[in-house]
Amino acid sequence: MSESGSGRSPSAMEQAVRSVLLDAVEAYQDDTIAVTVLRQHLDRLEEPLRVAIAGKMKSGKSTLLNALIGEEIAPTDAGECTRVVTWYQHGVRPRVTLTPNTGEVRELPIRRIEGRLQLDLGEDAPGDVERLTVEWPSPSLRGATIVDTPGIDSLSTNVSVRTMTFLTPEDEPSSADALIYLLRHLHASDVRFLESFRDTAVGGNATVANTIGVLSRADEIGAGRIDSLLSARSVAARYREHPTIRQLCSTVVPVAGLLAQAGRTMRQSEYAELAAIADQPRTVTDPMLLSVGRFVRPDAPVPVPPDRRAALLDRFGVFGVRLALTFVRSGMRDATALSQELVRRSGLDEVRRLLAVHFSERAGLLKARSALLGVDRVLRDRPHAGTETIAVDIERILAGAHEFRELAVLSSLRATHITFAVFGPDTNEAAERLLGASGTGSLQRLGLGSNATDTELHAATHDALRAWRVRAESPLLDRAGASACRLLARTCEGMLAALGTDVTPTEAPPKAG
Amino acid sequence: MDDLRQLVERAKHAASGNGREDLCPRLDTATQRLDEPGVRVLVVGEFKQGKSLLVNALINAPVCPVDDDVATAVPTTVRFGDESATLVFTRVGASTADAALDGSPLERRVVPIDDLERYVTEQRGSRDHGRRLVGAEVSLRRRILEHGLVIVDTPGVGGIGSAHAAMTIAELPLADAVLLVSDAAQEYSEPEIDFLRQAVKLCPNVACVLTKTDIYPRWQQIAELDKVHLAGAGIIAELMPVSSTLRIQAVAADDREMNRESGFPGLVRYVQEGILGRAEVLAKRSVALDVAYAAEHLSLSLQGELSVLRDPAHNQEVIAGLEAARLRSDALKRQSARWQTTLNDGVVDLQADIEYDMRDRTRGIIREAEEILDAADPSLIATQFDEWFQQRVAESVADNFVWAHERSQWLAAQVAEHFAEAGGAALPDLRVADTTGVLDPVRPMPPIEQDHISFGGKILIGMRGSYGGVLMFGLLTGIAGMALVNPLSIGAGVVLGQRAYKEDKMNRIKRRQFDTKVVVRRQIDEVILHVAKQARDRLRQVQRLLRDHFIDVADDMQRSLTESIAAAQRASQLAVEDRDRRIRELDHAVAQVDAITQQSSQLSMQGNTVLT
Repeated sequence: MSESGSGRSPSAMEQAVRSVLLDAVEAYQDDTIAVTVLRQHLDRLEEPLRVAIAGKMKSGKSTLLNALIGEEIAPTDAGECTRVVTWYQHGVRPRVTLTPNTGEVRELPIRRIEGRLQLDLGEDAPGDVERLTVEWPSPSLRGATIVDTPGIDSLSTNVSVRTMTFLTPEDEPSSADALIYLLRHLHASDVRFLESFRDTAVGGNATVANTIGVLSRADEIGAGRIDSLLSARSVAARYREHPTIRQLCSTVVPVAGLLAQAGRTMRQSEYAELAAIADQPRTVTDPMLLSVGRFVRPDAPVPVPPDRRAALLDRFGVFGVRLALTFVRSGMRDATALSQELVRRSGLDEVRRLLAVHFSERAGLLKARSALLGVDRVLRDRPHAGTETIAVDIERILAGAHEFRELAVLSSLRATHITFAVFGPDTNEAAERLLGASGTGSLQRLGLGSNATDTELHAATHDALRAWRVRAESPLLDRAGASACRLLARTCEGMLAALGTDVTPTEAPPKAG
Repeated sequence: MDDLRQLVERAKHAASGNGREDLCPRLDTATQRLDEPGVRVLVVGEFKQGKSLLVNALINAPVCPVDDDVATAVPTTVRFGDESATLVFTRVGASTADAALDGSPLERRVVPIDDLERYVTEQRGSRDHGRRLVGAEVSLRRRILEHGLVIVDTPGVGGIGSAHAAMTIAELPLADAVLLVSDAAQEYSEPEIDFLRQAVKLCPNVACVLTKTDIYPRWQQIAELDKVHLAGAGIIAELMPVSSTLRIQAVAADDREMNRESGFPGLVRYVQEGILGRAEVLAKRSVALDVAYAAEHLSLSLQGELSVLRDPAHNQEVIAGLEAARLRSDALKRQSARWQTTLNDGVVDLQADIEYDMRDRTRGIIREAEEILDAADPSLIATQFDEWFQQRVAESVADNFVWAHERSQWLAAQVAEHFAEAGGAALPDLRVADTTGVLDPVRPMPPIEQDHISFGGKILIGMRGSYGGVLMFGLLTGIAGMALVNPLSIGAGVVLGQRAYKEDKMNRIKRRQFDTKVVVRRQIDEVILHVAKQARDRLRQVQRLLRDHFIDVADDMQRSLTESIAAAQRASQLAVEDRDRRIRELDHAVAQVDAITQQSSQLSMQGNTVLT
């Protein structure tokens, strides 16, 4: 997770959004309910980004959460576990509160079993609880609040309904700014959910920017074989190119959540146990690794008791144990080195990088969008005199703000409503990159490495600007395509302006006839 | 099994010995059924739960393709064969639609087993020179397949863009047993429990297999959770945890310990007893019923003669009674017989009902489709709409099929009832007046069991044969493959046409919506047409089967009665001294036939309690 949070100054668009909110608060000053909602949206602008983790039951959401936070606090279990939407946010000291549907917020005692929180709802049934909030002093939570949700296809429909209401409410913008969606195989219900999430966006599909797909439990894709993660990578690549998924997620990456969680929270005692097993000859350990039953057999000739071995399996998984033993045998005699390598192999770093690129850098944009949609909702639900100008402002920002238009065009490109294939095979990819698909920094937009010099940057930006201006005049494009080219040119102009260069309008080529 | 064969032989012997060779063909068919059981087991489950590997482990051969990513796309059938052979079934057609719905003949082609993977997995497109793959079949020499076991590996349900769930449900009435496969990674999901609920209604023999116990440490906990879910849904089914990987290794290394750990001994035992055993019981029962049927007819002629001989005073009454019965059985064979009317009218009605039901369901789909299209620009939602539409259509076709199947069975029962009411069931009750203790009392004849008129093995097998699982699958694949919303066909004018630029965007959208609605309706008409045609063909077969069956029964009835009358008349002419001799002969024959009847009822009940 990015640690930087919102340290940079707000853009012009964000300031415009704030002023819209303040105007609305003033207009509705006699309507207390509306004011409360509007103030909540205002506050939200200052809060960290809200990232929800969703997916089918047992897809590994809570495990990934723990891996991201770096501590095993969210409870996980063999059976269905998370039954209530749970927010994890930064706090100075650990605190758990319960927000019921009706009634007062109350605090729950902090009880941990082997490090995991025991979230005991007390006399409240899960259906009566709107959410649980866990405040935790983890640096990873400074940049974003992570929301853990129950599976979307739980056996008890009430449980999945809670997730659906939170993430894809019927008539409101979602309570989450961004979504990490976990899937193990591509199932029809996954696609349906992602489409619902996209459709909750009023006025503009932005899920290409605010949704990341994660192929979870990646180690199980290859049935625990040592080459499982290779298989997982090719599966993820296939899903990434899937026409439906391309429209709904910016990308799909494989993650072995259990491995990541174990790596980040590995204890010295566990390392010692793994080393003790690795020290045995392979003739002893290989048969043990054939199945989980054999690994925990009481009569196995290893100096680690069966209950500890079972605990290792629970923590690392079959793949994790096999991998760890291989590493220890090949010379990794250091717990830190082992844990780092496990984390690296798990794919967690890629997820963190994506979160930084797609979410943290765009945090301001995403929150502003949520806020605008929220105000729009209020205006429609509770019409009030004197709010016409506000409605116009919202419309103007959503339709006109450059950042939003970039997202809209990126969505259209992904959905192949617009295509630049006529200009060459890589043009679509270049266009997506320019719109920020791989990052909002100038270097990423132009596809340059981090060691590019300023001159190179200038030159590349100029070239791109020229190219897109020319393409905007091409007769091979329809109106939407031409307008997209103009937008891309505008992006380049913005980049040049940021570089401090003069943007001289190039002569447009003479029109035919 | 041998007892049964011997019994059939004795019955044939008795039949020919008493001048009723006409009963022998039925007994021959019964023996055939014992020799060729054909027990069909479907292996079903969600995407990537380990079905193909399970089948491979059961038959100890890498037949069904297994891959980390791609999955089985068409059903693969495995059966016994003296020599190994691999067949693929294809239909000619450029697209799946043409192939499945044209009614073009099913082509069987032998292919080398190594190529099977290429044909059967979805990644490769299952297409070959304008032919569409609809199924594959592998024959192997394996002990587990010896007693007629046929295992079908099905494509997973729930995978994206698949109407497989609907197809699998439609296959269930035709299966003898179903194994639901789910891995030990997590407990049963709602779709899996829903599927099980439907499955137990449609198939008598359902069991659950929990796979991949070698890599999931908490598999025991998952098994317990699963059992709780099953109990909660009121589903009675055995749950067997296994590991296919361990089994395959155990067999290769001949490691008994590992084999035991794999859990497969339990599964194999279930297949042999719970599936094959039960099927054998059903087969035996049906054969025993056939034998009992033959015995009763034999009994009739013998008894008729006997009663006349013993009680000459009443022989006129006896003969009159028999004549009256023969007239009734004559009436049964006529076209105007009530059961024939019921059958013919019933089939016509059912045909109309099936079509109406299909129209009704699709009316709902059209309504929903139009709602969706009114709210959106069709070109933006083309792919999702297509998928949604195909899923709904496949659901409707499958529901319609299952319902039609139930109605056909109900119709068969109705026809049997009318047949029985018209006197087709009971052979005349010939009671003989009590004589002074010299003779044994004659056993009153029980009416022929409803069961073995209406549901003799012939009917059930015949009805199943008329469907053929491949047909159903093909139909639905065909429907799924029909390209519905072709953006080019709808928006062709837009990209290149001059008109488009002048039209307002709203008008363009409205035009697309209109065009799409037209396409939807046309598509639905096509679907109804094809479904109705299939239903017509099926019903025609069912009608023929039922009609032939009941006419046969009436024929037998008539024949027996004619024989009885002739024998009774002969007996009444018999000279007194010959009477005693003849009575003795008849007593002996009757005792034989009684013994046959008794043994057949014993064997048929025995099967219910003892599983070999």
